[in-house]
Amino acid sequence: MATLKKNIILPITLIIGGIFAFLPFGSAAEFSFRSFSETGKLQHSLTSYRWIINQPELASHLFLSLKLALIAVLITLFLMVPTVAWLHLKAQTWRPLLEVLTILPLIIPVVALSIGAQAAFPDWLQSSEYELPLMYVILSMPFSFRILDTGMQAIPLKTITEAARGLGANWLKTIFFVIAPVIRGSVMGAFFLTFALSLGEFTLTSLLHWDTFPTWVTSVSQQNIIGAIALSIFSLTAAFALLLIISLFTSRARKLTKEAE
Amino acid sequence: MSKGVSRLGGTFTRYNLLVAIPVLPLIIYLGFFFFWPMVAVFIDSFKDNSHHWSLVNFTTILNDPYRKAFKNSITLGLVSALTASIPGAIFAYIIEIRGSEKIKKIIGSLSGVLANTGGVPLAFMFIAAFGAQGSAIYILKKIGINLYSGSFTLFSFVGIVIVYLYFQIPLMVIVFSPAVHGIRREWRDAARNLGATSLDFWKTIGLPLLFPSFAASFLLLFASGFAAYATARAMTVGNIALVPLVIGTLVDGNVQVDQANVGKSLAIGMVVISAIAMIPYLYIQQRARKWQH
Repeated sequence: MATLKKNIILPITLIIGGIFAFLPFGSAAEFSFRSFSETGKLQHSLTSYRWIINQPELASHLFLSLKLALIAVLITLFLMVPTVAWLHLKAQTWRPLLEVLTILPLIIPVVALSIGAQAAFPDWLQSSEYELPLMYVILSMPFSFRILDTGMQAIPLKTITEAARGLGANWLKTIFFVIAPVIRGSVMGAFFLTFALSLGEFTLTSLLHWDTFPTWVTSVSQQNIIGAIALSIFSLTAAFALLLIISLFTSRARKLTKEAE
Repeated sequence: MSKGVSRLGGTFTRYNLLVAIPVLPLIIYLGFFFFWPMVAVFIDSFKDNSHHWSLVNFTTILNDPYRKAFKNSITLGLVSALTASIPGAIFAYIIEIRGSEKIKKIIGSLSGVLANTGGVPLAFMFIAAFGAQGSAIYILKKIGINLYSGSFTLFSFVGIVIVYLYFQIPLMVIVFSPAVHGIRREWRDAARNLGATSLDFWKTIGLPLLFPSFAASFLLLFASGFAAYATARAMTVGNIALVPLVIGTLVDGNVQVDQANVGKSLAIGMVVISAIAMIPYLYIQQRARKWQH
């Protein structure tokens, strides 16, 4: 009897969780296939999806979002990987301070930060779409710093660096061609996290009056609600696939960590 | 390895500063793109329209309609945190204790999507599913639950709470799972071997160990529900004043001149409330991490 109880708890939990997650998702997916025939009868078709693909703004907004996300990722990696490596190698005394500084963006509501950016930044920056990736870097910093920090903790960083330096590599070469590949799990984790966060960012983008993919979806809803729903289904599915990839990389990083220990 | 003492740092402050030079780019970056904006909001919030120092913005936001907006947002944060934290904790516990690695990974990714990138798509998903024409409503009606028999609408306070649960519960799963993971199997076995019933275990070991993490997660959920903007904005819940939405309207321009800096004082108000929740959260997490690894 006890084992029966034990065996039944997990499936029941999963079923409840599944209903919780997929009732709205499945229902919205069904909704996104709805259309009306010429006689006004409800039917299911790909009409809304066809409508989306025919929107000229789709490609441009998707491309803009991908571009900005990629820039945010590159800034994050070039800024954070050398810094975190240096903190571990030579500037351990400064690590606690940086730990506190990089967590602060998590405490400040994004709405408040957006107001601040609007109040503080000079016009030339505010009139450029590149202010967005510069800010996405800040939003993802609490996570990217920690991911890289954990990764560096797990490897014999000092030995690797000394070996590389001894063989004549300069600091930049050591950081980008020796250390970064060794902690590639963490680097990929930081990469995808910043990427996903930037792709889905809505609050800052919309308050700074820019139009990327997520904000475009909101404006689509005003003319074609089913289209907006179809877009939502599409972006949720894509985000899930992306995060599954992240978890693959981070679990690989964790495995490497365990081996290193 | 983690607390490796730098041979070079410590003794000489001068050398310490030299060593910090490669860290400067990051500090400057944070200074320009994070601290400067926040300082600018702070300073502006104490200025009236003619740029004189004044507390007028803060006296304004202590009155309606802003006072009401704060009350709504705080209530929304508390109610959504309360309704999400308990089921989320139980779910995290069962998955963490009984689930296989594969299940944990899938649940983790799914939670990540809903908690972090959910915002806008989540709102539209709900409009589709739980709108009057939604098939979820149809299915619920089939099994005898008619949400629309009373005065229910998705664009009400209860409606928003339901939608918020969809990123709050996953968020709870994400932040609470490591705490459950930290309860080692050996402790439970040891307790049992010493004759403890499972009630004894929970009373003396399980709950005291998990409670700080639960409280911390609750605080995080509160801050997240309090400050959420995207979902509320996409649902266009104009009939319920929430602080982030009010700030958004002020930023959008069509506002009278006498409210020029009110948005900034509202933002400072949000920062203060969010910090009250987040600082203890970070502190407890930091302490809990010691036994979780």
